[in-house]
Amino acid sequence: MSSLSFLGPRHMARTLGRRKFWEVVLLVGFLLVFYGPLLYTLVLAFAGQYTYPDILPKTWSLQWWKYVLKQPALIKSMVYSFEFAICSVLLSLAVCLPAAYVLARYKFTGRRLIMFTFLIGNAFPKIGMYTSMGIIYYKVGLMGTFLGVLLVHMLGSMMQMIWLPAGAFRSVPVQQEEAARDAGAGPLRTFFYVTLPMAWPGIAVACMFAFIGSLGESVGTLMVGLPTYRTMMVEMYGVILDYPATAGAVFSILLIMPNLLLILVMRKYIGADTISKGYKMG
Amino acid sequence: MGQAKETWKKTLLIVAMLAPALLITIGIVIYPIINTVINSFVDAETGAPTLRYYTYLFTDELARDHIVYTLWIAVLTVAISMILAYLLALYLRFSDTKISKTIGTLYLLPRFIPNLVTIYAVMTIVRDSGLINRIFMAFGVNFKPGLLFNSKGVIMMNVIFNIPFATMIIVAALSGISESIVESARDVGASRFRVFFQMILPLSFKDVMIAMVFIFMSNISSFTTPYLIGRNHPLLLGVYLRKTFANREYNLAAAISVVIFLFSAVSAFVYLYTNLKEKDWESRAPQ
Repeated sequence: MSSLSFLGPRHMARTLGRRKFWEVVLLVGFLLVFYGPLLYTLVLAFAGQYTYPDILPKTWSLQWWKYVLKQPALIKSMVYSFEFAICSVLLSLAVCLPAAYVLARYKFTGRRLIMFTFLIGNAFPKIGMYTSMGIIYYKVGLMGTFLGVLLVHMLGSMMQMIWLPAGAFRSVPVQQEEAARDAGAGPLRTFFYVTLPMAWPGIAVACMFAFIGSLGESVGTLMVGLPTYRTMMVEMYGVILDYPATAGAVFSILLIMPNLLLILVMRKYIGADTISKGYKMG
Repeated sequence: MGQAKETWKKTLLIVAMLAPALLITIGIVIYPIINTVINSFVDAETGAPTLRYYTYLFTDELARDHIVYTLWIAVLTVAISMILAYLLALYLRFSDTKISKTIGTLYLLPRFIPNLVTIYAVMTIVRDSGLINRIFMAFGVNFKPGLLFNSKGVIMMNVIFNIPFATMIIVAALSGISESIVESARDVGASRFRVFFQMILPLSFKDVMIAMVFIFMSNISSFTTPYLIGRNHPLLLGVYLRKTFANREYNLAAAISVVIFLFSAVSAFVYLYTNLKEKDWESRAPQ
């Protein structure tokens, strides 16, 4: 017992100081709760022989990766997920950037009402919005169609695609645009050569949030996309309920990877500030 | 004359640039909401105006169980998340160590992990043959956490999801309280508790309320967590709504949606109000 006493809380408290000791306890607790489960997912995904009640697998292997990648339904779901993510980001960009620019640059009657209209879809719980859309989908035959699911994904992305780029456009000095106009550039040329390059980081962050949001959309797709459009997130419900735990772990990693890659690519532009903005918008 | 033409051109430009986004929003947000409210007051069979769906929701024993249970889970989630988040925020704000900075950068990242993945990962740990059980088994104890398919598990999951958001709001509120005020109060002999209850808490009260309102809203309508790890009866409103919708009882589903909208009215108001504040919008707009 004495040989291990350096691990005891009393001893640690003495060497580290009481305050420091509790800080370490907090850090460990925090990491266990918020990162521990993900770490264990990683262990499960690469498990080979893993029987109850072993804490860690006896052997490691890629067998569950092969298993998952051999499921046609899961492969198909990846294609759907990326199709919807790419389409919803592009369509939101095309539709929302002009609106964002107008809201950022012009004052006109009814501006607040229009901003209100754009905001309201995010002000109420999503599941109620999906139900409301679904009721209409049944009437007009959009249930289980590509367009129907795409519109559900747009509901999640449009607000961000207006608000974040509008903020970016506002931070471009008007004088800069005016100077370009004075030098003889047309409005489109000014936009593409002066405004857009300066507002680009804000727009890119909005696209990132929209893309991640679309990949992560589960409830709405589950409600209006079945039986055809089973995206990765929709499949994940089934994977959690029906597949072996180790296969679920592999699929989880496949679900996280695009997000991690995007964050890695975009890390220059993402501060705590943008994350918090994304939080409030979502 | 030329001026009038310019104004016309500008108006046309504004309308043309707003129209696509506005039309889609009206189609997927405004019209569906109005349609839902109307449907909830219309009898599915006869088409006549009725209150029967609302009467059913609030008088039928099963339906009322769902509503009461949902409110109860949401209130508990708000209370536990807020207490833990406030403690974490106090620590992050008022201590300046390597560890606090580490937690300060790490606590926002879980947002980028899809909810389903987090739920799944936690499930593999807490289920009865999960990691926690296995670790206990190594010491010869067959301890089963018993956190799945009951309310405890749902609340635990909700708290894990809500702590980062709540902490973020409170940290922002606390950053407005200067350390010198706190220190001078302590110098005059105020106890830690007094400083907290008479200075820090009142100064952050508004933001705490906002965070509570938002957490309440997101939990009133939660679906994925209770669907995967909740119990079969009573159901949370989100799961009940999906079930009703899948059964094609659209008018009842509409009424449940309206009830959820009403429960979220306060948070919706706060959300709209804070985002519509012209202050942020005017600073750099021309004219």
